[in-house]
Amino acid sequence: MTNTGMFLRMLFSAVFRRRSRAVMAVVASLVGAATLFCLAMICIAVPQQMNQEMRAYGANLIVTPAAESSDSATSDSATSDNGDMSGMDMSSGTSTSSSSGASSSGTSSSGTSKSGIGAAMVEHTSEMVAAKGSEKHATYRYENVRVNAAPYVMAGVDPAAVRNLNHHWVVDGKWPSAGRVLVGRDVADAMGLTVGSGITIGYRASDNAATASGTSSSSATGSDAGTSSSSSAPSAEGAGSANAETGGASADGQSSTDSSSAPSAEGAGSANAETGGASTSDQSGDTQSDQSGTQTQDGRVSSDIMDTSGTEFRVAGIVDTGGSEDSIIYATNADVTKLTGVTRGVDVIEYSSGASDLAALVQSINDMTSMHVKAQQVTKITASDTRIITMLQTLFWIVSLVVLVLTLVGVGTTISSIVSQRRNEIGLRKALGASSRAIGVEFYVESALYGLIGGLLGTALGFALASWLCVAVFERAVGFNWGLGVASVVLAALVAVVASIPPVHRATRIDPAVVLREE
Amino acid sequence: MLLELDHISKIYGDLHAVDDLTLTVPEGEWLAVVGSSGSGKTTLMNMIGCMDTPSRGSVKLEGRKLEDLNATQLADVRKNMIGLVFQKFYLVPHLTAVENVMVAQYYHSVVDEDQAMKALERVGLKDRAHHLPSQLSGGEQQRVCVARALINGPKLILADEPTGNLDEKNEKIVLDLFRQLHDQGTTIIVVTHDALVASCAEREIMLNHGVLVGEKWNDEKAREAYEAAGGRPASTGAKVEGAQTGETAIGFDDPTKAAKTGGEA
Repeated sequence: MTNTGMFLRMLFSAVFRRRSRAVMAVVASLVGAATLFCLAMICIAVPQQMNQEMRAYGANLIVTPAAESSDSATSDSATSDNGDMSGMDMSSGTSTSSSSGASSSGTSSSGTSKSGIGAAMVEHTSEMVAAKGSEKHATYRYENVRVNAAPYVMAGVDPAAVRNLNHHWVVDGKWPSAGRVLVGRDVADAMGLTVGSGITIGYRASDNAATASGTSSSSATGSDAGTSSSSSAPSAEGAGSANAETGGASADGQSSTDSSSAPSAEGAGSANAETGGASTSDQSGDTQSDQSGTQTQDGRVSSDIMDTSGTEFRVAGIVDTGGSEDSIIYATNADVTKLTGVTRGVDVIEYSSGASDLAALVQSINDMTSMHVKAQQVTKITASDTRIITMLQTLFWIVSLVVLVLTLVGVGTTISSIVSQRRNEIGLRKALGASSRAIGVEFYVESALYGLIGGLLGTALGFALASWLCVAVFERAVGFNWGLGVASVVLAALVAVVASIPPVHRATRIDPAVVLREE
Repeated sequence: MLLELDHISKIYGDLHAVDDLTLTVPEGEWLAVVGSSGSGKTTLMNMIGCMDTPSRGSVKLEGRKLEDLNATQLADVRKNMIGLVFQKFYLVPHLTAVENVMVAQYYHSVVDEDQAMKALERVGLKDRAHHLPSQLSGGEQQRVCVARALINGPKLILADEPTGNLDEKNEKIVLDLFRQLHDQGTTIIVVTHDALVASCAEREIMLNHGVLVGEKWNDEKAREAYEAAGGRPASTGAKVEGAQTGETAIGFDDPTKAAKTGGEA
C-alpha cells in the first residue's frame, strides 16, 4: 500500500467510521448547498416566469406599415407618443398630426400604407421575431365604420390570436365569430348594448377613402396620423372624419345634427381624438372654410349622418380592458372583409416577444427598409418587467449572501468541534512525526470531502425543492441546470474548506506534548 | 552514550518541574524513572522525547544537541529515533489496530501493511489486527501501542506509565515485550510509579518535585559495564535536602510498592 493509499484510508476512516460527527458537517453544508441551489434555480426560473406573466399583459412590440411620405419626421414624433393603444395617446397623436396638418396637407399619402401589411409580410416579420425568441402575435385591421351614423373604429382580428396574446382582456360573453362582434365596454355603454343585442354597422368607403384622397386638410391630418402609428391610425382617421363632421356641423349650424352626433361621438371612446380634432378644427377652421371643396363635403357628411343603414351583427361579448380597446368593435377578419368589400393587409401586428434584447430586434426590423414596416417597443411592459426582475435578483443576492455566511458559520462550528474532539489524535500524529502541513492537508481534504458530500446531496435536495416549488407556485417544470449544479457542489466544498481554516490552523499548532501531559 | 542530559531544568514560573538534572543513558540500557505524581517525570520524558525543550541545560541524543533544532527537525528526530508508549494508548479511534500501526509508518517513511502485521504478530495481536480500538481490551490496545512504537525500529523507547491502565495479566505481557526489546538491544526509558515495572529495569532513578533524590541499579553487571564505559551516576545541582548532588548514588526503597498494595503514594 502506498502512502497515498494510506492517506485515503485514513481520510475515509475519519469520514465514514465517525459517522455522527461527519453527518453534522455534511448536514451543515447540505443545508447551505440546498438553499443556495434552490434559490439559484428559482432565480433563473422567476425571470422566465415573470417574462411569460408580463407577456400576458399584451404586446411588447408592435409593427406598423412604414410611412412612405416625405413627412417622416412628423410621423416619427407621432409614433413616439403612440407606443400602445391608449386613448390619450391617440389624442396627442392626433393633435400633433393635426397641428402639422397644414404642412402635410399638400402631400398625398401613399396608398400602400392604407393597403396595410400583406399576409406574406406578416409571416416574414413573425419569422424575424421568432428567430430571437418565442413569439406570439395578433394582427389588427382597422376600419372606420358607422353605428347609428356615429363613427366607430372596427378592428378585424383573428379572435384566437388576440385572445392568446391578451390574457388580461376581460370578456363578458364570447369572442367574435362569424356574424358576431366583440364590442368595447365604452361602445356598449354608449349604445346600451348587452351580450346578444343586435348592432347595425355601416361602412362607407368615403370615411376611409377620404384618408387616401388627401384633398382636404382634415383628411390629410387623418392620413398623417394613420401612417405614423397604425394603432392610432383608425382613431386618428376617425378623428379626422369626426373633425370634418364637427366642423361641418358648426358650419351648417344644424342643431339636430349637432345633437345627434355629439353624444354618440362622446360615447364612442374616440371622444379624445375627436376633442383633439375639434380643438384643432378651430385653428384650421379658416383653412377649411377657405377651401372650396370643404363646404360641399361637409354638406354631404351632414346628410350622411342621418344614414343608419348597414349590416346587422350580433354582440357576442363585451370587452373591458380599461384601455383604448374599450372603444373599438372587434370582428373577425372575414366579417370586416365582407362588410367593406375590400381585402387588404393589416394595420398593426402586435407581438409578445421573448427576445432578450428587444431593442436590437426592433432595430433589425427597422433596418430592413425593404419590408416597409416599422417596429417599436411597448416600453411600458418591458420596463416594468425588467424592474421587477432586477428587484427579485437583488433580493436573491442578499438572501444568498446571508445563507452563505450562515453556512460558513455552521460548517466552521462543526469542523471546530471535530477538531477539538480530535486534539489528542492530532497531538499523537505530531508525536509520531507529522508536520503541521501534513495535519493541515488532512483536515482540509476531510473538510472538502464533507463539503463535497453535502454539496452533492444538497444540490439534489435543492433541485427537488426548486422543482416542487416551481410546479406548485409557478406551475412550470424546471430542467436541471448542470453548470449551476457543478458550481453548487464546488462552492459547497470551497465553503467547507474556507470555514475550516481557523479551526484547522489552531489544530496544526497543537503541541505534541499534549498527549503526554494529559493525565 | 545514547542520551546525555546536562544540567537540564524546566521552569514554569516559580515551579521547577525538573531541577538541574544531569543524567547519561548508554545504548541498550533499561532505565526506570520513578516518583510520585507531579515529580516531574512526564516533563522529563517530554524533553527526552523532543516534544518539549528544557528552560536550561541541554539534551543530547546520539551526540546531537536538541536545543539547536527547530520544530521540524525535532519531529524528524522523534519519528526516526523514538518510539512512544502512552498510559492512555492514544490509538486513533476510527482506525483499526493495523491501521494505527501504519499511521506511524505513514509519518515515518513508507506504509507497509505486511510489516505492520508482523509487528502486531509480535505483540500477539495478529488475529485482532482489523478491530477498532473500541473493540479491543485495554491490554490489547496497549500492545497495539507497543507495536506502533517499535514499527519504525527506534533506538529509544519512551514509555509513560505503560501499565498504568492494565491489569496484572496484561502488565506482564507488556513487560515481557519490553524485556524482549531490551534483549534485542533497544534502549528503554520507562516512567512509572509501579514498583514491579521499575524493578524490571536495570537502573532506576527517583525524582521528587523535580529533584533527583536517588538512584539504584537492579543489575550489577549492567552497572559495571556502565561504569567501565565511563558512565557516572546521575546528579542534580539543586540545593535541596536529600538531593543526589554528588558522585555517589543514594539508594532507595521502592516506596511505590506501597502504592501498589494500597498504601500511601
